[in-house]
Amino acid sequence: MQIVLKDFTKTFDGNTVIDRMNLTVEDGEMLALLGPSGCGKSTTLFAVCGIHRVNGGQILFGDRDVSNLPSQQRNVGVVFQNYALYPHMSVFENIAFPLTVRKDSKADVDRAVRDIAELTHISELLERRPGQLSGGQQQRVALARALVRKPDVLLLDEPLANLDAKLRLEMRSEIRRIQLETGITAILVTHDQVEAMSMCERIAIMKGGKIIQIDTPKDMYSNPRTSFVAGFLGNPPISFLKGRAEAGGFVLDDGSLRLPLPVASQIPDGTDLTVGIRPEHFGRAGDVPISGKVIFAETQGRENLYDVALPDGSVLRSVQPAQDDVRAGDSVSWKLESAAALVFAEDGRRL
Amino acid sequence: MRTRSYMVGLAFMSPALVVLIGFFFLPVVLTAVFAFTNMSTSTGISGGSYVVTGNLLTALKENGVPVEIADALSKASFVVDPEGIAKARDAGTDPAFLAEIEQQLGGRTFTDERLFERELKTLQHRPRSIRDLKLAVDQFELSILNSRFTSESAARQAIATFLPSAPADTVDQIVEASYTGWTWTTANFKQLFSTSDTWRIVLNTVFYVAVTLSFTVFVGLFLAVTTFYLPAGAASAFSMLWLLPRITPIVLYAVMWKWFTWEGGFLYTAADALGLPAFNYMKGSVPTAWTIVIMVNGFIGAAFAMILFSSALKAIPVQQLWASEVDGASRWQQIRYIILPHLRWPILFVTSYQTLSLLSSYQEIWLTTNGGPGRTTTVWALESFNTALNSYTGNLQYGLGAAMALILVIVGVSLSIIYLRLFRFDELLGRPKIEF
Ligand SMILES: Nc1ncnc2c1ncn2[C@@H]1O[C@H](COP(=O)(O)OP(=O)(O)O)[C@@H](O)[C@H]1O
Ligand SMILES: [Mg+2]
Repeated sequence: MQIVLKDFTKTFDGNTVIDRMNLTVEDGEMLALLGPSGCGKSTTLFAVCGIHRVNGGQILFGDRDVSNLPSQQRNVGVVFQNYALYPHMSVFENIAFPLTVRKDSKADVDRAVRDIAELTHISELLERRPGQLSGGQQQRVALARALVRKPDVLLLDEPLANLDAKLRLEMRSEIRRIQLETGITAILVTHDQVEAMSMCERIAIMKGGKIIQIDTPKDMYSNPRTSFVAGFLGNPPISFLKGRAEAGGFVLDDGSLRLPLPVASQIPDGTDLTVGIRPEHFGRAGDVPISGKVIFAETQGRENLYDVALPDGSVLRSVQPAQDDVRAGDSVSWKLESAAALVFAEDGRRL
Repeated sequence: MRTRSYMVGLAFMSPALVVLIGFFFLPVVLTAVFAFTNMSTSTGISGGSYVVTGNLLTALKENGVPVEIADALSKASFVVDPEGIAKARDAGTDPAFLAEIEQQLGGRTFTDERLFERELKTLQHRPRSIRDLKLAVDQFELSILNSRFTSESAARQAIATFLPSAPADTVDQIVEASYTGWTWTTANFKQLFSTSDTWRIVLNTVFYVAVTLSFTVFVGLFLAVTTFYLPAGAASAFSMLWLLPRITPIVLYAVMWKWFTWEGGFLYTAADALGLPAFNYMKGSVPTAWTIVIMVNGFIGAAFAMILFSSALKAIPVQQLWASEVDGASRWQQIRYIILPHLRWPILFVTSYQTLSLLSSYQEIWLTTNGGPGRTTTVWALESFNTALNSYTGNLQYGLGAAMALILVIVGVSLSIIYLRLFRFDELLGRPKIEF
């Protein structure tokens, strides 16, 4: 089922949190709402499921306008950030709850619960109470409860935020597998770019209640529309150099570094620019040599991470295959791939 | 380490222990002690003495003391002995007359006052006035009736000299019955278990507690849930309103109910205007009296229950309520399946706490219907208060009242134990979270 938000607006006590947002989630697609905390992701999600009423605009499921329907009538499944399982019910009763309240027959409920429990791999936990489950198991129960009545839409609010790293990895692929198996349209709210990139077809990146860019993970990474998007995606993150345009290239403010940039040819000399360089584009290979001092070195086993301070004080990050010839405090002369550099105007727009 | 933390725990608890012993344990012990006595206003609470009264003799005759012995006790006799002479001298009788009495009549006993008087009149130094003669006669009177003996042996001896022929067990019975102080007895309990009035009051009490409690829990729940769904401002105003019964001084609250329900009161006037039966609802009929007793107490409890339920409601994670809504639960289903289960402990708590306080409370009933009409709304606590501390006849029966109170304490403690089991209190009281 396609979800469409048209000029969706939400205010809390006269304070506009979301202002005329437009968003389309295609049928069967899993879309990530990605952004820093407080940017309005949960608010959007809660408006879609009807917990919050919209203050303006429309929400459509297919061609059905659900803007003014109570959440009971929207047929959405929601997984809340803290799972919101009912502590006084067994796992079975929790999962069965959406079916019991609509008074399905006992046999139907039983069959549906056992089917979904199998899909989510919790068949052997049905008699337990939520308090007796681990975080990952609770997560699966919440997912089963959201899916049991075959909702039109699945909404996930930071579903992995409370899990440890290993479980997070496991549940990431689990949720994706279940979403693909059921073919359900899903919105995943997260502040973690890795989650968004690994689980979703498309990412809508939000900031301050606005969607900045909607794209596939790959396009969003290589082709960010603003410096905010570029900074948000990528781990380790991109590093930025501040400087100005000069003779079809970019120079640092103290004139020490000069980068030839094709886009800079149309820019008047002296314009303030920011250049973003991802860590994988700074290292032993490249076309522009850069000297600096390693101020931080860290190994992650397979790769090493370095922060290199340039003479003017700006810092470039580099990620390289693990080797131990360079330590913090060493002076290095490495190279930069100027073709991969991302150029942003002073207001953050990509040029 | 273990003993140290034990001692610290004890030190923390000691003020509570002192209070517990002083305000809970001692009263219960005293109640238990009083319950096995016949203390009342007439016996006093300190010791007594031995007095044979006319009433006592009537009672003794009914309890198998031979009529002739009882009658003999009620008679007076006149004995001329040195004691009588001394008494008469103190009373101011002419010494010459006294000397003559001693000489002429010394050692004689008269069973009839007139005979003795006639004998005295024959004496030479007899006084001129009849009044003085009577005064002298009185001094020689020897009577068991209404004389006070401070010890049991004195009483026994007096009776024995008065009735030398009486059998020993009869004398024992009389001596024992003549004691005016309190004695140990189980008669209070026998009396309670044998009167039909007791069962009537027990039934009243059970009815009162059960209905008031249900009223409290249901109204409390209703108020808490409705305020929960109201906007914040309206909710706090609404709950303040319902708190009034709890915070109004009880006397004022009772008076307000009187204004509300008595002749000429609000309800009366309203009913009158509408052509409905108008009378003093508080005392005029049994159903209205019960209704008012239950509401008076129920609203106080409901205010208390509302506070507890409201705070428990606020503690429900809002995501659970949201989840239930997106899961399709209607408002009613939300209350039934999410909210009520979360209120389980507060409901149990209010039930147990209110059972105990309703069982032991009488002030509200005392100040409103005062157990009437008749004794239809009299409950156990009120009856024991009236028996022990508030008798119309002026004879306060401390012993009987204490026996009633003791039964109430036993019922209360048993119920508490049952409720604590229900609460699984031991689970709540796990190991201390902080180690010393
Ligand atoms: N119920 C509410 N009342 C008032 N303000 C709210 C409410 N819920 C969210 N907000 C505000 O809306 C903004 C977006 O919140 P939210 O959607 O929860 O952010 P996030 O992207 O972290 O999920 C925040 O500034 C938050 O303070
Ligand atoms: Mg959020």
